Amino acid sequence: MSPRLIMKLEVAQVRPEAGDVLLVALRHPRRPLLPAATAGAHVDVHLPDGRVRQYSLLGDPADRRTYRIAVKREAGGRGGSRWLHDNLAAGATLMVSAPRNHFELSAAAGRCLLLAGGIGITPLLAMAHALAAAGRDFRLHVFARGRAGAPLLGEAEAFGPDRVVAHFDDPPGTRLALEALLREPEPGTEIYCCGPAGFMDAVREAASGWPDEAVRFEAFQPLHADGFVPEPFDIVLRSTGATLRVPAGRAAIDLLREAGIDVPSSCEIGVCGACVCGYLAGSPIHRDVVLSPRARRDRFIPCVSRAVGALRLDL
Amino acid sequence: MTMTWSGHLLHIHIAPSASVEMEELAQARLIAGRGIEGDRYLLGTGTYSAKPDIREVTLIEVEVLEALEQGEPKVPGLATRLEPIDHRRNLTTRGVPLNHLVGRRFRVGEVVLKGGRMNFPCKYLEELLGVPGLYEGLLNRSGLNCSIEVGGVIRPGDPIVPLAD
Repeated sequence: MSPRLIMKLEVAQVRPEAGDVLLVALRHPRRPLLPAATAGAHVDVHLPDGRVRQYSLLGDPADRRTYRIAVKREAGGRGGSRWLHDNLAAGATLMVSAPRNHFELSAAAGRCLLLAGGIGITPLLAMAHALAAAGRDFRLHVFARGRAGAPLLGEAEAFGPDRVVAHFDDPPGTRLALEALLREPEPGTEIYCCGPAGFMDAVREAASGWPDEAVRFEAFQPLHADGFVPEPFDIVLRSTGATLRVPAGRAAIDLLREAGIDVPSSCEIGVCGACVCGYLAGSPIHRDVVLSPRARRDRFIPCVSRAVGALRLDL
Repeated sequence: MTMTWSGHLLHIHIAPSASVEMEELAQARLIAGRGIEGDRYLLGTGTYSAKPDIREVTLIEVEVLEALEQGEPKVPGLATRLEPIDHRRNLTTRGVPLNHLVGRRFRVGEVVLKGGRMNFPCKYLEELLGVPGLYEGLLNRSGLNCSIEVGGVIRPGDPIVPLAD
């Protein structure tokens, strides 16, 4: 995962929202504009004890003065949201990364169905802003148990009754509503979904007749894979066809060097990018912090990254 | 060989740990053999702390930032504005030929530094700032990594002068 600048932001405003949610507006104390974000992006919030929590940006991506996040108090959670609820007030500071996005709107011009379960509405609100600004056709479906517990419903409804539909059901009712909504795949339409795991499962099931690429989910990835156990794998060289076995306890770059291949390197901890090379086939396990998600499709950092099975390198 | 240049210190920046935005200081205490008080490379929390190296204090020339902003006439679109708070080196200097100071001692105010190695730019900074081409732009002029021979307090405006070997 590529590195992101961590900024000390100022809490400009906090406001309680329905559903035990705290709405937080953040600004930079010295710079008028924050790093740009596209709709669907999230930030990493660094808590004082070192824990990191991810929150989607819910505001209009065109507004670069403010980041807006919504924090649901998770009573049974690990305590991060509780700390934020108890400690955030206007004027407080919070360490926040520049945004990253694993949940981008596609560049296709078709219609978008935005399906929000509870607090999962946050990235979809940012998408609604972006789609509205681009003049694109969309419907935002908001699912909650009831109006009183639905966070950010007022902001959603501001997009107008033609674009926003609220569904207040229990889980079986939600399942039926999703089945009715998604029964017929619509060519050219894309589904964007965010919500609790059960809600996303129900969408996955109801949309089983849709093409895979037309249904997208927000899924936060762990920042660091704890307990990663390296296993041996093979490197196949494009130039000679030779296969190099990388033992569990050694780095791919060492084997490349032993094979007489001159790979530039600097940090050897996966942050500088000096040893980057291309791969042509195989299943890499990217363990660097420098490549962007896009670069990971065909680039590989041999000082720290590994693979499952055989990885064919463009060397 | 005697060197005859003289320059001065423009800015001091530190960050408490890797990737955290730098902050500007009106004065800083440098500790011999260790680093700058409050900075990640004294605290062992820097991106490269896991890889031992000479990195107690890092310097870059403001002239490099000015050249980056000027851009390269033969490569349109390469001009980059890199603010002193963004380049992640500790000290921004004017009038100091940093590339010539590897292995040499020089004075910053009351402090004595020794040039360790020329800083090598990293993709990490380019990714962090989201500025394409910054890595190439800083090749061979990315600053100087130094050790601290004599500690003390420094402030912007302090003169920087060469010391006899």
